[in-house]
Amino acid sequence: MAYSDKVLDHYNKPRNVGSLDKASANVGTGIVGAPECGDVMKLQIEIEGDRIVDAKFKTFGCGSAIASSSLATEWVKGKTLDEALSINNTEIVEELSLPPVKIHCSVLAEDAIKAAIADVKNKRDSEKG
Amino acid sequence: MTMICSGCESELASHLVCESCGALQVCEESPTPFASMGLEPSQAMDSGALKKRLVKLSRAMHPDFFGNSDAATQQLAIDNTAELNAAFEILASDMARADWLVRSLGGPDENSERQMPQSFLIEVMEWNELLEEARDSGSGSPEYESAQKLGVTLQAERAAIMQGIDAALTPLPEAGSPTLTDVRKQMNAVRYVDRALEQLAELAVQANH
Repeated sequence: MAYSDKVLDHYNKPRNVGSLDKASANVGTGIVGAPECGDVMKLQIEIEGDRIVDAKFKTFGCGSAIASSSLATEWVKGKTLDEALSINNTEIVEELSLPPVKIHCSVLAEDAIKAAIADVKNKRDSEKG
Repeated sequence: MTMICSGCESELASHLVCESCGALQVCEESPTPFASMGLEPSQAMDSGALKKRLVKLSRAMHPDFFGNSDAATQQLAIDNTAELNAAFEILASDMARADWLVRSLGGPDENSERQMPQSFLIEVMEWNELLEEARDSGSGSPEYESAQKLGVTLQAERAAIMQGIDAALTPLPEAGSPTLTDVRKQMNAVRYVDRALEQLAELAVQANH
């Protein structure tokens, strides 16, 4: 199976690899995994108000999983939380031309975004008390 | 379900071949792996005894011993030997056996119960970080040593989870029991452990080259 050029581009030059301060009230962390391949993906977002100002990821997995999470960090940056929540895995599949066997990688990225947003919302709500 | 030999009418252990008269059995549907091997369904498995069963049944139905038989019998020897080998593959693996049992009892398949606790996924993340460092630093490095230690920890963790799975499946729960859902969750955890162990093995192969 050949990877698309876009997957290779993200794989070779992953955007936004790294970590944000997990403890910060403005940072949301989502960790998700796929048991069938043991892939694990950490996606973090930093917000100011309702807008995502930074995003980082660290993914252990195949090229498609890395590309999906790299793309996800690019897409969420600058978006509001609600806009980011509406990102759908099928958009990732289309953008990266993922083959059917790799669709779960895009699902993983979508789940990671949602988990990171849920985490930061949770922090915000608990601060408000 | 008791099956009777189509030749001598004695009770069959393996549904593939009669161990009394040696007659190959025609199976309309694939027997379960346990029925192929002539064993009661069970998660507990004595691997030595299983291998002995495989050898004994292989001898009874090996295509080489049916070289002088008619074409249909020769084909039956081939088909039943294939069934036997497929059954052995499943029964010899603790995970494949548990998977078969959970499915046959109507439990969730491997695509269900995928959601792992965050604490577990953080752990998986840490294994992978260690593996990556070991890969980058090469054999002899402290990182490589840490990865070796991780291997020992993971083996122990796997054994502990497997013990839980074995206990939950012994005696076999009723069909549709919620226990099967718990077992499937535990099995998904083992898949992460196995993947990390696989990567450790690959690391060792690379180090030896």
